[in-house]
Amino acid sequence: MRIALINGSPKVHNSASGTLLSDIKGYLGERAELVEIGLHSAVISKEVITELEKSDVWVFAYPLYVDGIPGHMLSCLMQLEEAQLQKQVSIYGIVNCGFYEGIQAEYALKILQNWSIKTGFVWNGGIGIGGGGGLAMMPKTKPGQGPKAPIDKALAELAESILKGDARENYYVSVAFPRFLYKMGAQMGWRQMIKANGGKTKDLRKIPK
Amino acid sequence: MKLIITDIENFNIPVEGEYKIICPKGDIHHCIGCFGCWVKTPGKCVIHDGYEGTGADMGKCSELIIVSRCCYGSVSPFVKMVQDRAISYIQADFVIRKGKMHHKRRYKNVINLSAYFYGENINDAEKETARDLLVANAENYDGVVNSVSFYKSVEELEGVTL
Repeated sequence: MRIALINGSPKVHNSASGTLLSDIKGYLGERAELVEIGLHSAVISKEVITELEKSDVWVFAYPLYVDGIPGHMLSCLMQLEEAQLQKQVSIYGIVNCGFYEGIQAEYALKILQNWSIKTGFVWNGGIGIGGGGGLAMMPKTKPGQGPKAPIDKALAELAESILKGDARENYYVSVAFPRFLYKMGAQMGWRQMIKANGGKTKDLRKIPK
Repeated sequence: MKLIITDIENFNIPVEGEYKIICPKGDIHHCIGCFGCWVKTPGKCVIHDGYEGTGADMGKCSELIIVSRCCYGSVSPFVKMVQDRAISYIQADFVIRKGKMHHKRRYKNVINLSAYFYGENINDAEKETARDLLVANAENYDGVVNSVSFYKSVEELEGVTL
């Protein structure tokens, strides 16, 4: 079995989607042939389409943007539909959102599900992950330990489903970290970032002229 | 003011009252996830391609009208890129509303959100997703949904007044 791990983040490096794909890669291990694909811009090349065509399973990982799929990745999905690949591909999705609640990724998964069906592929389910804002910065812990434990469990289960070719219901999970602390930590981060850019905390509320 | 975001280049749909249209004029760059519109130039996107001011335009509108091809229950890539580039309408900081985390509002206006989707073969699942998506958008903008409707073509939409 050949599995394409597709990163739909606009960021080439240090994305939460990249972290999640790296984690699931560990769970898939050497039990399948893996290929890594980046969809970081709005145009998908013929080479990438050819590479994807060789794969039996496509696992998309992408961030939640305005309740849906990032515009550039949506553009890539349309190009893949237009390519009319004559192949039965199994599709899985992993959506990370900056909000605490994984359920907020529901429609971003539904859109990928609708695309799969319209394109003639097989939708096999996905996971929506809340608290994704901190994933790329979290210290490495052993799988199943620390704030990422519920995410590790969901990814391990998803990996097993992928290897067995099983379909599953969309599933939602959040970091094991109190919501008020996650909110506080994120807001401290915004303050550090605006100060690093020469601004003040009150500028976060600024109305542009 | 009505703010219309559409993927139709030659927009011929009649509009009542004062309005502004954001439609494809030159290439649009996609959001790069840098959060510059929150922490570098608050309220404005850092990419200068003519689409950087949509967040501020949203702050001045009473109605946000989306006219878009329906793509798998989503708006089209162009409209989505405009929306993705306009997250400065809200602030970076969080607030809990109806039990869920959202971003705080930057502006006082309450947006009435409408969507006019077009496309030949929009199926029931896509319609359901599109309706749910608009509700989710309204929750995140702290606004309200006015209407969501579907049309088979742009020509059919031209009989509508926005």
